Amino acid sequence: MKEELLSVLNLSVAYRHGHGWMRVVDSVSFTIGGGEVLGLVGESGCGKSTVALQLLGFRHPAMRVESGEVRFKDRNLVTLRRSELDRLRGRSISYVPQNPTTALNPGIRIGSQISEVLAAHGRELSSNDEDGGAVMKLLSLVGLPRSREFQRRYPHQLSGGQQQRVCIAMALACDPDLVILDEPTTGLDVTTQQQIIGLLIDLRERLGMSMLYVTHDLGLLAQIADRVGVMYAGRMVEMAPTEDLFSRPRHPYTRGLIGSIPGLEENFRVATRPLRGFLQREALPAGCPFSPRCDYSLKTCFDIPQQLERAETSLVACWRWKDIENLPAEKKLPSAAEPLGKENLLTLDRVSIRYGRGRKAFTAAREVSFTIGEGETFALVGESGSGKSTIARAISGLVPPVDGTVSLHRTPLPKVLRERTREQRRVIQFIFQNPDASLNPRAKIRTILARPLQFFFGIAGKDGVRSVKEALADVRLDAGYAERYGDQLSGGERQRVAIARALVAKPSILLCDEILSALDVSVQASILALLQRLKSEHRIAMLMISHDLSVVKMIADRVCVLFRGEIMEMGTREEIFTAPFHPYTHMLLQAVPHLRQRKRWQAARRLSEVSNASAGCVFAGRCPWQIGSICESERPPWRQGAGTLRIRCHHTLERLVELSAPEAESEIAIGERAAR
Amino acid sequence: MSKAELARSARRSNFVPLVGLWQQTPMSFRIGAIVLLIHLIIAVTGPFWAPYGYAQMGAGPPLAGMSASHPLGVDQLGRDVFSRVVHGSHIVILLSLSATLLGLVVGAILGLLSGYLGGWFDDVLQRLFEAIISIPFLVLALIAIASAGPEHSGNPWLVVLVVALVYAPRIARMARAAAIDIATRDFVTVARLRGERAWSVMRRELLPNATSVLLVEFALRAGYAPVLIGSLGFLGFGLRPPTPEWGLMISENRALLIVSPITVLGPGLALASLVVGLNLFTEGLARILGRTVRLGAQ
Repeated sequence: MKEELLSVLNLSVAYRHGHGWMRVVDSVSFTIGGGEVLGLVGESGCGKSTVALQLLGFRHPAMRVESGEVRFKDRNLVTLRRSELDRLRGRSISYVPQNPTTALNPGIRIGSQISEVLAAHGRELSSNDEDGGAVMKLLSLVGLPRSREFQRRYPHQLSGGQQQRVCIAMALACDPDLVILDEPTTGLDVTTQQQIIGLLIDLRERLGMSMLYVTHDLGLLAQIADRVGVMYAGRMVEMAPTEDLFSRPRHPYTRGLIGSIPGLEENFRVATRPLRGFLQREALPAGCPFSPRCDYSLKTCFDIPQQLERAETSLVACWRWKDIENLPAEKKLPSAAEPLGKENLLTLDRVSIRYGRGRKAFTAAREVSFTIGEGETFALVGESGSGKSTIARAISGLVPPVDGTVSLHRTPLPKVLRERTREQRRVIQFIFQNPDASLNPRAKIRTILARPLQFFFGIAGKDGVRSVKEALADVRLDAGYAERYGDQLSGGERQRVAIARALVAKPSILLCDEILSALDVSVQASILALLQRLKSEHRIAMLMISHDLSVVKMIADRVCVLFRGEIMEMGTREEIFTAPFHPYTHMLLQAVPHLRQRKRWQAARRLSEVSNASAGCVFAGRCPWQIGSICESERPPWRQGAGTLRIRCHHTLERLVELSAPEAESEIAIGERAAR
Repeated sequence: MSKAELARSARRSNFVPLVGLWQQTPMSFRIGAIVLLIHLIIAVTGPFWAPYGYAQMGAGPPLAGMSASHPLGVDQLGRDVFSRVVHGSHIVILLSLSATLLGLVVGAILGLLSGYLGGWFDDVLQRLFEAIISIPFLVLALIAIASAGPEHSGNPWLVVLVVALVYAPRIARMARAAAIDIATRDFVTVARLRGERAWSVMRRELLPNATSVLLVEFALRAGYAPVLIGSLGFLGFGLRPPTPEWGLMISENRALLIVSPITVLGPGLALASLVVGLNLFTEGLARILGRTVRLGAQ
């Protein structure tokens, strides 16, 4: 490691909690070397963001630093005076926040927002073109257009990825020594996420600054970090070089985190398995905080606090790390292998959905047709804006389609919810993405679960109480939860309650709209396991909407890939995840972070976005394998593969197989570069 | 442990949780509650210990000013202002609260339904409310009282109805805004997908989540209701003299502000302390309701 840039020594931070203080960061120590990228990973609530904010000397009345120091250039940021901090922040240490939408001021043009940073630190603004020079340089540094027009845009006129680039540009404005990135890609699509990561890797090579990358996604760190610190319940439990962390995770928690990543790479070497339970701050034992959830914990673990100690190349806070490495491999989660449903349950026939009227009309889905069999899990995949949720809403009756029919058991369903019968409403149940909004915060769980029982089956009183208990047990929640309110539960528990609420109606199909994306990885794994069990026990069909291909691979029987409201590819899970791929599917698969290999994201070609009202393929313009003008002028044909696979592309299936082979890829990349 | 100690600890075990809860409440709630409690005690017990009757003339020399026997002075008819304030307390509190409550119930139901349902129902209702709000409230109150006919004039129920009529559209607009916000959340969509009727959605999903908005609205309106009732009385359309209603008393003694300011200040301070108490109390209550759940978890 090069010389030390910043060091954190025994940092402890507490937040005001009721009338006392709760320690959220406990004696954390680490260093960041010059030009080094340190990753900080952990589930939500582990204190990683609090640590990150301390590196900026963040202060708040409801927070106090109980001990320790943050040393940067011979100064202690914890005790530094405010005026000195102001000079340091943004100039030597800068920050990229999680959500660019709220981080940018919606009322100020982006050019002015960037130059504000420069002005605040008294940087020379080239007077000849109204500081356009410096701002232009920054914009092109982060891969944004160098145009005056672009600078005059307001944040809402930019996409999420572009907004994040602007935030990065602002952080880089004064050439900082250290950039702190707090979950910078969490809110973005997989493809955009990859582009941002690519940008960061590139920037780091060119500018050589240090970074602290805070995330809950280990997969991302594999690509960008030199070393990774794993935090749990406010303590650092493992610190290791990235390669070692993934090949030989030593702390049981790290193993659990890696095991919780739904695997695209099935034959991952290390024996891991998903985490169980969740972090309960109120009930931490005196010893190792992870011991209640640890598969390897012994009685002594609960009593003796663990300190970070050297374990070969890494630091681990677990006294059993040697034993654990030698334990035999454990069984992985059973993967989804269910017989396909024979009977047709739900059929969509050329369904089109449009929002708005007249010239402003926006087609959210165009001629979408598919069939879901009984007990089958059908996945809709695509990036945000691809119309996945809209289709689910049309099935549920929330959004009436302008054309086409949705049929249940071959009987067409009325388009509008009001006209559907109670029975029709009962068998289709919807589970929403955001568990925070899907439970009434002012109602007890008992009330929430009892209502559908009473509404659909007229069950109330003692029978109702018993049914509520059964429903909670079905999603593996204790009966005591019935008396709690929604906001007393964690995200995962709320999502379980939402699933239970859908299940008490005894539906034949569940519409799951991104139900995992708002949850931590470990919670995701447990909800996935729950869904798999429900699938086999209750024989419920599911429409899984997800942008996460690894999740889809674990649970779906059949998959449908959507782009801008049109189906690009459809087939069984095996068919989708093996060649031939539709170019878009291939792009999505490439964008999934791989744990073992560091790969370069091919800079996506920035061509004009084609409106989906055009005559050609909707993917033309972003397609890496585009043939030529035919893509923009003619609708691609459906190509029928072996089995049930259908791909919509101008390329033949044989050509698509060739294109997705690894050699072909580099060939294309070379060709592309030559073309530029 | 002695018997006495046992008894004390047993008593404390009943009492301590309440003290604990009280200490967890915000300061504004505590101050408001104490002020309101004093007002309520005076309203309930006042008529029994007030030194003079509310219409008793000759209690002292007219416009005598402050003295030990007449802490708030004597008005121009020789009535003891302090006694009148004490006697009027229950009238003011009862009338303002019941009028505001009626306005709240009607306004909340209409507003929540209108915000949730939208469409023509919302349009018609909103235009109607806008029309009502655009009429200055005193004019509106006078129109309503005039149309009720002279035989009802001075009837406290008419005053309640009129104040409720003034308040309901204003409260409805707040409720509607809250309903529009809440209706976008997924749990309302779940209820809609289930096929719940609008009334049921309003009662189960919207109302519990709009309570803090409605409570604050209630406090603001209830605080202003005594002023409104007094204005009506001043114009001769509300309660009739010699009812010791505070607003009416302020109006009656308004002309004497320079000669004997305490006769106006007395009822004015009583009114102000009631309004401030109500506001503090409700604001504190809204904050408690906003975090009940977290309090429960501790």
